[in-house]
Amino acid sequence: MASPASVAAPAALLRLEGVEQFYGQKIRILGPIDLEMREAEFLSLVGPSGCGKSTLLRIVAGVLTPTVGTVRMGGRPLKDVNTRAAMVFQSFALFPWLKVVDNVAVGLESRGLPPRERLKKAQKYIDLVGLSGYERAYPRELSRGMKQLVGLARALAVEPELLCMDEPFSALDVLTARTMRELVLDLWASPVVMTKSILLVTHSIEEAVAMSDRVVVLKANPGRIADEVDLRGLPRPRRPDLPQVRETVDRMYALLA
Amino acid sequence: MASRRPASYSVDLGLIFLIGAVVVGLHLGRSSLRPYDAPELDPRPALLPLYLLYSLARLAVAYLLAVGLALVTGQLAARSPFARRLILPTLDVLQSVPILGFFPLAVGFFIGIFHGSALGVEMAAVFLIFTSMFWNLAFGVYESLITLPEELALAAGQFGLRGSLRWTRLILPAVVPSLLYNSLVSWANGWYFLIASEIIAVGPARYTLPGLGSYLAQAVTVGRNHETVLALGVLIATTVGMHLLLWGPLQIWAERFHFEESGDRPRTPRMARVLGRSRLVRWLTRTVVAPAGQEAIAAAGKLLGMWGASGWWGGAFALLLPASLLVAVFKLYGLFVSRPASPELAGIPVDLLLSLVRVALGVVVSAAVSIPLAWALARSTRVRGAAMAVIQILASIPATAFFPLIVILLRWGIGMNAAAVLLALTTMFWYVLFNVAGAAYAIPKQMDEAALGLGLRGRRYLRRVFVPAVLPSLITGCVTAWGAGWNAMILCEYLEAGRRVYQVRGIGATLDRATYVTGVMQVVAASLASMVLLIILVNRSVWDPVYRRVAERYKMEA
Repeated sequence: MASPASVAAPAALLRLEGVEQFYGQKIRILGPIDLEMREAEFLSLVGPSGCGKSTLLRIVAGVLTPTVGTVRMGGRPLKDVNTRAAMVFQSFALFPWLKVVDNVAVGLESRGLPPRERLKKAQKYIDLVGLSGYERAYPRELSRGMKQLVGLARALAVEPELLCMDEPFSALDVLTARTMRELVLDLWASPVVMTKSILLVTHSIEEAVAMSDRVVVLKANPGRIADEVDLRGLPRPRRPDLPQVRETVDRMYALLA
Repeated sequence: MASRRPASYSVDLGLIFLIGAVVVGLHLGRSSLRPYDAPELDPRPALLPLYLLYSLARLAVAYLLAVGLALVTGQLAARSPFARRLILPTLDVLQSVPILGFFPLAVGFFIGIFHGSALGVEMAAVFLIFTSMFWNLAFGVYESLITLPEELALAAGQFGLRGSLRWTRLILPAVVPSLLYNSLVSWANGWYFLIASEIIAVGPARYTLPGLGSYLAQAVTVGRNHETVLALGVLIATTVGMHLLLWGPLQIWAERFHFEESGDRPRTPRMARVLGRSRLVRWLTRTVVAPAGQEAIAAAGKLLGMWGASGWWGGAFALLLPASLLVAVFKLYGLFVSRPASPELAGIPVDLLLSLVRVALGVVVSAAVSIPLAWALARSTRVRGAAMAVIQILASIPATAFFPLIVILLRWGIGMNAAAVLLALTTMFWYVLFNVAGAAYAIPKQMDEAALGLGLRGRRYLRRVFVPAVLPSLITGCVTAWGAGWNAMILCEYLEAGRRVYQVRGIGATLDRATYVTGVMQVVAASLASMVLLIILVNRSVWDPVYRRVAERYKMEA
């Protein structure tokens, strides 16, 4: 892919330096990984199961501390939970005992926002993902797709600089997953949503090609970066039956094989 | 932005509770200041409500203590591997030890601390009830926290839930179902030990606290049938009432705290579902229990958040348990080295054996009755819910209530041996039945249909499907019953009724005689220690391996 080298590269939002993760004392499951993510970039991590892509995401989100190496967020090394990032989970991870609105507001509550502003902001993102009217529902009363919408609203509501998504569509049926992908891309392009940098972990090459600016391919045992593909030259919207898109997908399958 | 803090009832509730506790405490304290070789309780039935109130207050204080400490230790064990290594084995050992046997030691301790003041007796009673309530609550908290879905815990961390917020939004809601389920067990235990804790005797000294338990015990001992029946009536009405008006609504409220896709958590008990049809119960749930529950979570979260902020004394507590065990061991050592051996010590092995036979018999009979009964219950889909509700309420009646019945049987001449086993069965049986019935209900419908399609009916179904399916739970029930059986031995092998002593040879009787009659601490310590050792030995060498094998082979897996 030809990347426009003349465009001045925006500052790095996230930088991983020699990150390694060990299981126990001896077994290295991930790394060493060096990776940079630009401001306002949509980056995907793909790879076979066991390549540590979810582990890597958790390290970026700050819920897991790497055994070796540094994570820098806007230049500063990450020491604790990454408060400038928010995460969307594969199994939604909603609090079953909280109503939709309280689930969405959870991150705002822990950031100490007063109740009224909390409510206002939660409502804004509930409306944005199209769940208006379900504020008082409990997660168990929602379909899987709607649950993930709550998960998305919860992450966006804290207005993070970086949105981390861990296989967010893989627990959904095909049709719902497609609608959700389009919604995420719409929100990404929309001026109403502050969050412009997205880190997506997926095992689907089609998904990665359809959505991202750049794809990092990982291989397993231990998880390492195998390759990197720049997709900024690929015009959007990327319908799967476009020859250019199909060609890219095929090429990436070859990379992974 | 001068946004006012939202009005919260938790502070008011806390204040009211505090004032109430002080008033009750002062009152109890003053009444305790009478000479504690108090002759007799006033037997007038008009005083029964007051006695009931005293007993309820002791139970409630012990319960709140138990819940608080269970939350702290359970969370600590779940969070820190170091604490876990200390806490879990300690809980495990203390849980399998017959608490009743330790009563005299604990009483001696508290009375010593308070220099013989009667407040010490009151403290001792609360402590004894507490020990009967605590273990299963702590294990319940620990288990529900380690089975918390991983991504949920991660999400809580990622969205920055810490301190109080983490308690109110994640931990407390997650442990509510198990806490509630275990509360039923704890209260049943508490009622069971109430009698033993309100009449405390060490050697020749006898302390009686005013309460329902002591009233009942006195009525039985002296042989006043009229009062016995009355006290029993109050006891049964109270337990049943608590089920209907407190636990039922709480369980209905707690439904929102269950995870959807997880089979190994206690599900909504049937009783709650049956009760849920009642208008009164639903109204109670909505207007009283649910708001109170939310407030309780908020208030507890605030408190526990503060505790978490100063985490060091949690670690101190984790050290306290093993440390106190050590002290006990040293005391025992001193007791035996400094004095000549009592001749009664020689009889202990035979005593132990006789009691072992009784407990084992109780386990076998419980299992033999439970399996067909659970089968019958599981088959009749129509009465299942109602039957379970009735059984649950029956089970909540403390076994001590059956005392008078046994005494009547004794007068008819069934023999003390049979009476002891029978009395033990009244506590042991329920543990087995509940576990087996629960497993029977959990047999997947598809498996039943498959069995039917294959022509497995009657005894063949029982052998090929039913028994294997309930086996792990049967073992769990038997282990619990086995533990309860030893407590029962202390209670059953030596009875005082109608100014007569009924006894049969066994370790329980030896312990009781040494505690209540002769006061030889050496015999108390030796029989206790040998009993504890035997129980732990059998747990490790029989129950643990059996359970592991059965669980591995017969676990229900999709």
